[in-house]
Amino acid sequence: MRILVIEDDTAISELICMNLQAAGYETEAIFDGDAAEAALKNEESGSAALALVDVMLPGKDGFELMEDLQRAQIPVIYLTAKDDVISKVHGLKAGAEDYIVKPFEVLELLVRIEKVLKRTGRGREKIVIRDVVIDLKEHSVLKNGEKVNLKPMEYELLVTLAQSKNVAFSREELLGRLWGVDYVGETRTVDVHIGQLRKKLDFHDVIRTISKHGYRLEDMEYEAMD
Amino acid sequence: MKLWIKMSAITAAVLLVSTGISGAAVIYHSARYNKEKTIENYEQQLNVAAYAVSRELEYEPFQNFSEATANAYYHYVIEKYDASMYILIEGEQVLCNLTPYELNNPGDDRWGGVEAYHMIQKLDNRYILVMGIRMPVAGSDEYKLVLVRDISKIYKDIRAQAFFYVRIYLAAVLMAVVLVFLMIKKALAPLRELQRAAQDISEGRLERRAKVHTSDEIGDMAAAFNGMAAQIENQVTELSLESERRRQMLGSLTHEMKTPMTSIMGYADSLLHVNLKKDQKESALQHIYTECGRLVRISSKLMSLIGMYDNDSICMEEVYVDDLFSAVAEMEENNLKKKNMTLSYSCHMDKKIMDKDLMISLLTNIVDNAVKASKTGSDIIMEAKEDRITVRDFGCGIPEDEIPRVTEAFYMVDKARSRKAGGCGLGLALCGKIAELHGAELEITSKEGEGTEVSVIWGNV
Repeated sequence: MRILVIEDDTAISELICMNLQAAGYETEAIFDGDAAEAALKNEESGSAALALVDVMLPGKDGFELMEDLQRAQIPVIYLTAKDDVISKVHGLKAGAEDYIVKPFEVLELLVRIEKVLKRTGRGREKIVIRDVVIDLKEHSVLKNGEKVNLKPMEYELLVTLAQSKNVAFSREELLGRLWGVDYVGETRTVDVHIGQLRKKLDFHDVIRTISKHGYRLEDMEYEAMD
Repeated sequence: MKLWIKMSAITAAVLLVSTGISGAAVIYHSARYNKEKTIENYEQQLNVAAYAVSRELEYEPFQNFSEATANAYYHYVIEKYDASMYILIEGEQVLCNLTPYELNNPGDDRWGGVEAYHMIQKLDNRYILVMGIRMPVAGSDEYKLVLVRDISKIYKDIRAQAFFYVRIYLAAVLMAVVLVFLMIKKALAPLRELQRAAQDISEGRLERRAKVHTSDEIGDMAAAFNGMAAQIENQVTELSLESERRRQMLGSLTHEMKTPMTSIMGYADSLLHVNLKKDQKESALQHIYTECGRLVRISSKLMSLIGMYDNDSICMEEVYVDDLFSAVAEMEENNLKKKNMTLSYSCHMDKKIMDKDLMISLLTNIVDNAVKASKTGSDIIMEAKEDRITVRDFGCGIPEDEIPRVTEAFYMVDKARSRKAGGCGLGLALCGKIAELHGAELEITSKEGEGTEVSVIWGNV
């Protein structure tokens, strides 16, 4: 799954790429508007699943690139330091799927990307972690080809962790995201479900406990992944 | 009270009182004159009559007459001289009275003076003049002649005259008041316009001017007022421009700070929560370090820029321009060495009044820019002559349409390349500010691909 990162600041570009790669995406960094316009014409870049676009770019700016991106049918998330309402409305009206204001949190970026991909029907169908295959279409989990029985919340928890793999979630975040705000505070629930996942999938060293924070599903093989 | 009412009222009051008093005085005097003249007339008549009657009385030996004869004689004499006017008296006895009046006090000595004595008596509504004199009859001073006359007509005339005067007086005053009122109203009309203009201006329509073109004091005042309004408009425009510039600068500043902050936060976040590989961790730390450096550079440049807006500790002194150049060359030595460049300078200027530190900062900033723009091994020339110091490079130049903007804070022609070279877009803004403090200005001429020339010109300020 290829994501275009159109951002002129090399540090930020590298930051985004680093995290997207860790979460299992393939990235292509482009540093100015004109280069982006050119890149969209070639097959490989033109078939990307999503584009993260900085609004203030040298050459063609982010808003001007919208036309080219729409022609290539690539959903756009704007990434910008401008947080005024007018820019946001302008960006969203022009057809952007989302609008993220700098500075942003890595997890927020990943979740938003995931949401946009899902909404535009480009969500990943399968996530492979070692010998475990999560089939997001069939809502099933296979380990070594054999089906593993997971309760619905265990499955949701696994998917959440796997979709942003290598990124840590705090217990509160997981609770809020999966059980809803009513459960906030009962972090024991998360621990119990994590325990179940570890046992059922033999993920004792894959789902790591991050002290004073939460959990992270680790999978260092991401470079080889598609 | 409105000024025009006040002025009209005062004028009317002054007119009323002054013309009233003078009119009354005139009437009073003319009345008195009339009366005196009339009395004088009668006095003459009385004198003549008294003399004539005396002669008649002397002429006849009427002591010998019987009382009836004497009476008849008196009647005869008095009738001869207008009987209706005189009363003849001897001692206390009225000898003959053919007037319609009765004299109450015929014995009164006042009637017997050598000079005529008179009094005016009011009877019913009539004024009666009574005037008596001793008759110069030889051998007797008991004879008196009294004149009685109705002089009401004089009073009636006076009254008619006064009444007539009052009418004219009122008409004249009314006319005068109306005239004064109209004149004041006309004279004050420009003040209303002035007031409206002032009101408009206070409501924010600063371009409003008073349309008063009279050549009087109000015209002068309107001209002064318009001058003031123009000045205020200028200053307000200047102020709003200045605040707009500052707002833009602050906007650029936050944006400019956001980029390194996004990196720092993002990398720190990644290091904390993301399972990174060893080389990625190192790269993240490196980025955090570099971006912090960028923040430090921005803040220190900004500090000097802000400092210069408020700082009055600028120290102006005479500086040898030659010394200035060698100081700049020394500071840039390392920078130049890295790109194997040379900085040559020629100085045809002796001394100049300046703040040495600020001027060094200005020149090093420009030389820094020149170094960044130049290729390895090229030259930079610094020159001072007449009223200017010029730094010339043979680098990439500035696109023509960007030249006016390069002195704006945070403006960068090529952001990506500029940041890589460690720029933050404040250098030339700083230089412009320093030049301004020295009463000089920055002139930039450049040709893309051929080089740039930046001059500090001590101008016509």
